[in-house]
Amino acid sequence: MSTGLLIRNTIDRLEEGFMAVSLAFMTLLTFTQVVLREFGGGWVWSLEATTYTFGWMVLVGMSYGVRTKSHIAVDLFAKKLPPPIRRIVALTAVGLCLVYCGFMFYGGSIFVDRLMMLGNNARDIPLPRWLLTSIIPVAFMLLTYRFLELAWAINKGIETGLSADHGAHRDNKGDAET
Amino acid sequence: MSALFLLAILFVCLTIGMPVAISLGLASISTILLFADQSLLSLAQRFFHTMQIYPLLAVPFFILAATFMTTGGVAKRMIDFANALVGHFRGGLAMAALLGCAFFSAVSGSAPATVVAVGGVMIGGMINSGYTPRFASGIICNAGTLGILIPPSLVMVIYGAVTETSIGNLFIAGMLPGLILTLAMMATIAIIAKRQDLPRQPRATLRELLRAGWEALWGLILLLIILGGIYAGIFTPTEAAAVSAVYAFLIAVFVYRDIRLNDVPKVLTESAKTTAMLMFIIANAYLFAFVLTTEQIPQAASEWIISLGLPPWGFLIVVNILLLVFGNFMEPTSVVLILTPIIFPIATQMGIDPIHLGVMMVLNMQIGLVTPPVGLNLFVTASVAKTSMEEVIKAAVPWLIVLFTVLILVTYIPWISLIVPSLLGVL
Repeated sequence: MSTGLLIRNTIDRLEEGFMAVSLAFMTLLTFTQVVLREFGGGWVWSLEATTYTFGWMVLVGMSYGVRTKSHIAVDLFAKKLPPPIRRIVALTAVGLCLVYCGFMFYGGSIFVDRLMMLGNNARDIPLPRWLLTSIIPVAFMLLTYRFLELAWAINKGIETGLSADHGAHRDNKGDAET
Repeated sequence: MSALFLLAILFVCLTIGMPVAISLGLASISTILLFADQSLLSLAQRFFHTMQIYPLLAVPFFILAATFMTTGGVAKRMIDFANALVGHFRGGLAMAALLGCAFFSAVSGSAPATVVAVGGVMIGGMINSGYTPRFASGIICNAGTLGILIPPSLVMVIYGAVTETSIGNLFIAGMLPGLILTLAMMATIAIIAKRQDLPRQPRATLRELLRAGWEALWGLILLLIILGGIYAGIFTPTEAAAVSAVYAFLIAVFVYRDIRLNDVPKVLTESAKTTAMLMFIIANAYLFAFVLTTEQIPQAASEWIISLGLPPWGFLIVVNILLLVFGNFMEPTSVVLILTPIIFPIATQMGIDPIHLGVMMVLNMQIGLVTPPVGLNLFVTASVAKTSMEEVIKAAVPWLIVLFTVLILVTYIPWISLIVPSLLGVL
């Protein structure tokens, strides 16, 4: 296994593991909170910890979604195009996604930068706010990386578009949206 | 001007196949940068803030609960119980499939999940007992839409969060329409069964019935926990969702023992992925709604509609058509997220009850789920039944008459949506 592949696999694993652990953590935390309240107790930091974990899970999940091609798109029209045009359209679509990533990365960076200057802690968690929100630029950087990967694959003709073929990826995945 | 720009960019992005989430986000960002005085900083902040909106925390928990329920054998036991109840009627297996969908909807907030859970067992079962594949997949495809009408419902959670309407009340309001739709489809099956002389199952003995009921009870209790807990004030809908997820885990792993502890990480990753996709759309939809508000687009639309002098019922027709058209091209949560910020303010001004509007929107979305070209239930049914899309579309279309009838009833008789919450004294 080459080093590049090794690093990629490690990132993939980290993404999946992180998402699973986050979800388990926030579920158990919220559940525990309900139980503790019945006995007149509870932790002040619980809700804030849950929402930040939620934010991190979703942001990391964005790029995971590009890799597994599970983002929902209306691919009806693009799929009807002849292959050479379809490739150009798909590359344009990915290009626009990259523009979006750029905007959000920039916005996220200045947000974190501003919080660093303010230097205050979160309401209930004894951690600086900039640290808790630092995932925003990081996640959009990861998302950029995944879209670049996809653009490369589309250009090489390995992939045809942003979403998987219907039917194929929906098999036994009824837990989808909705 | 800005409104046209916003919608044009959104339309172009969607058409060339960009993810719904990014289409919404990019359209919003470019409109704001060009027409409004807002910084990218505030957009990024708003984006992240979506995950701190308390009612939306219910989304990951309900998805997790449903994934445990789908992966474990909960559906199978509910079907057995349904079969013991109605199997001995003519066309009993089809009725059991329908009832199985209704039961499963009471633990899952998703329509495609319901199709997978019940259809996986019942489509093959019906075909083996002499039903035509078309009839079998038509039933499952349509009955599966009950998933978003019978509580819990993800679409209702999102509608409730966006409009700041009580999610508990929406859940309760969905029960009677859900019951009516189930009975309407049941009656339709009975009529077809008589005409086509469909087979019966042997009648279950009382002992078998009780046994099946006991087995299914563990799953069915979940609805009681959710609604009871919310109404007794023990917990919020968000907490109810977390309790459901833990409960579903315990049932699937320790009571039914269908899922091994080793499989739990896979269930978690899968649920987290579904959640992230959905929340990515929702977070961008909040940016979209923010642009709509800063550009005062809902106000303009509302003034225009009111200047037309439409009566509320006329407005509701327009809403129905709008929702049906959008529902044909997008999945329910996206439609609700895009259209609610525009429709809701107008409806409130016309004196339409938010709960009534919510239930009506859900029914429209159900129809969208079974109509081409983008009906999620059609895709899922085709893959579960291992048949072509064309075949499933032909199978599903006749049932639309039932769905449309119930939609019209729910739209024009607000009583259907409001009676149960008001009887419970929560309205």
